Amino acid sequence: MAYTLRGRVESRVAAALAPLLVSCALALALDAWWPVELAGLMLAVGLALDAAYYRLVPYQPGWAALPLGLLELGLVMGLARLLQVEAPLPGALGFFAGSWLLAQALGHAVFPLARLSYGEDGGELGRVGPGAAATALVALAAAGGVAWATQPPVVHLSAGVHQGPLVLDHSQHLIGEPGAVVRGGIIVKADDVTIRNVTVIGGDHGIQVDLSKNVLIERVSILGAYLDGINVRRSEVTIRDCSVSMVGNEFGQGIDISFTADLEPSMVENCLLTGGQEGIFLDSVHAMAIDNHVRQTTLRGITVTEMAMATVDGNRVEDGVGIGILCSDYSMCDIRENSISGIRRDHESSDSMREGYGIVSHYFAHTEVEGNEVSRTRHTMGAFADAYITSR
Amino acid sequence: MCAHATLRKGGLEPAEIAVFGTDPDPAAVWRVRSAAIRQRRMRSESDGHCAPSSFPGLAVRTAIRRRSPAPLVQSVFDRYHPTVDEFLDHVDELRAETGWDESFHAARVERVRAVEGGFEVDGHGVYPHVLLAPGHPGLAWPEGLEGDPRAVHAYEPHEFEDTLEIVGAGMAAATEWLNALDAGASVISVRRREPERRPLNLPRELFSRRGLAGFHKTPPDERVGVLERFGAPSYPAGSSWDEPVEAARRSGRFHVAAELNGAPQVVCATGFERGFRHDPLLARLVAEHALEAAGEWIVLTPDSTVASLTDETRTLALAGVPAQWAFPAADTLMGAKYAARRFGRKVAAWRTR
Repeated sequence: MAYTLRGRVESRVAAALAPLLVSCALALALDAWWPVELAGLMLAVGLALDAAYYRLVPYQPGWAALPLGLLELGLVMGLARLLQVEAPLPGALGFFAGSWLLAQALGHAVFPLARLSYGEDGGELGRVGPGAAATALVALAAAGGVAWATQPPVVHLSAGVHQGPLVLDHSQHLIGEPGAVVRGGIIVKADDVTIRNVTVIGGDHGIQVDLSKNVLIERVSILGAYLDGINVRRSEVTIRDCSVSMVGNEFGQGIDISFTADLEPSMVENCLLTGGQEGIFLDSVHAMAIDNHVRQTTLRGITVTEMAMATVDGNRVEDGVGIGILCSDYSMCDIRENSISGIRRDHESSDSMREGYGIVSHYFAHTEVEGNEVSRTRHTMGAFADAYITSR
Repeated sequence: MCAHATLRKGGLEPAEIAVFGTDPDPAAVWRVRSAAIRQRRMRSESDGHCAPSSFPGLAVRTAIRRRSPAPLVQSVFDRYHPTVDEFLDHVDELRAETGWDESFHAARVERVRAVEGGFEVDGHGVYPHVLLAPGHPGLAWPEGLEGDPRAVHAYEPHEFEDTLEIVGAGMAAATEWLNALDAGASVISVRRREPERRPLNLPRELFSRRGLAGFHKTPPDERVGVLERFGAPSYPAGSSWDEPVEAARRSGRFHVAAELNGAPQVVCATGFERGFRHDPLLARLVAEHALEAAGEWIVLTPDSTVASLTDETRTLALAGVPAQWAFPAADTLMGAKYAARRFGRKVAAWRTR
């Protein structure tokens, strides 16, 4: 086909209509925006490329649809990653493939049947073309409008001290301005909550998350919590770029995520955790602890326990007592590329596991290790109570 | 045939369409010519058919009939060329499906005249919408060879002498080179310039609006030059064309010459006479209605109609080779459909008025 520019655009938009509508239905069914975002991205990439194709491809033979489709797939997936479109890879690939196949069927069969001069007109669709464009715009605008209307409100926390505990019981983005401090903790009891750029001082827990999904805790500083710095129960959270100081707290954990094994994985990334019994405590969860810095803990640096499944990757654990990283109680742990140093013997315990270990696998746990560095620590690794360690 | 099928697709009944011709077989003339040059495959591709919609093309139909995806794969790579038999079968099927025979009137039309309410068709009545598709005016002979007992036209039935000269450099000439070589003859290709090599008669962009938009904008003088250039002989590239010729050249059975040199047989693969003046019907039409012409072509609007004889109440359109002013590849199946579809739109608009 020797497309005109208008023909490319009209064919593209008309072929995108069904995927757009399907994406809206999927968004409703899945309660997620990625289908609409992906469909919009596909259309935008396609239209941008059409301008280039028009110049570079005067005549497009049938076979060219495949390499051009792969090019579009690469660009769409790359942009989706760049723009943080949270589409699951199989779903995104399936959606793209289905849309591409539909476009081929439309271009080769349906459009020529519906408009006899489709080929001669260079892919132009006559009066249907602007109609299709209008419908696509309406669909996108409607989806965008709904997305905008259903976005959680943004609550700006002004600089200065705010007396807590703050209870967030509906979706919202709590964004602190520089110098915003909450004294007495924050309690999250709703889905789709973001907490960003806030310092929390005191409280039973610095931040407590209960029964909530899609919670993002980002760039927060926590100090002086009475129990845990961040305490998560039956929730799905992403915690990143945080700082939790538990110095002087005898029993608290920096971050404690528990009882989420049946939920989507949670993530702790790039946080600095200082002091307390344990830096990161993952109990009966699916979770990832990545690139964190844990130091000066009195019991263990990072703990994965009670049938948890966790990846512990790229963390730095140092100057703690007893154990650097523990995988325990039927848990399955992937522990790799961590740097563990200065784990001292616990002189107050007669437990042999606490003689100063970099990594411990305990009580039927299965620990896979790869590329970890253990230094200034008496024992590199140890397996206890029918647990085992596999090196890759 | 293309126009008839398109009008039928547009909702006209066979009785509402009158087709005038000398042979009820719509492919009768072409059938004889393709047999004469022993053509086995079409130059056209999957879209080269007479059905109103390009889908399903002949590749799809052949794939279904053969129960093989091979034609579809070939089509994806622009390598599918239907056999002549497949094309003729398709014409026969379409003839039956569309009620062609019910529309057909055996009559030679030598004059079409604009009258009140339409066009008077040589004593067969007045019709508001007329599409003239008279085909090629006649065979073109090199100067001095018509009537020469040594000469035969490629499009007339013939056998090959042991040594022969083939005049021309287009698709028919190339086909005849291979035919004659295959028959064991020695061939002298008489041509004054090297043929162009391209898959279709014209660059592919010129089969769609992409190339046509620029073509339609050219002023008359320039367009005449463009059409003359497009008329230069060409045939497709490919080893199936080149290898037999090259092998024969190496064994001394194929030569190229600029002039005839007294071979016992001369095959004239020189195509058809060009220009409306060679067609009595068109020449008379132009003369009687003072139609605008440029060079060898009747000036048409981009939708293949004669502007001075077309308005909301009547349409005079041309299809086939005389319609090159609107569609430079008008003498192809795609060209026939181009004119037919636009004619069909005119008729449909008139009917719904």
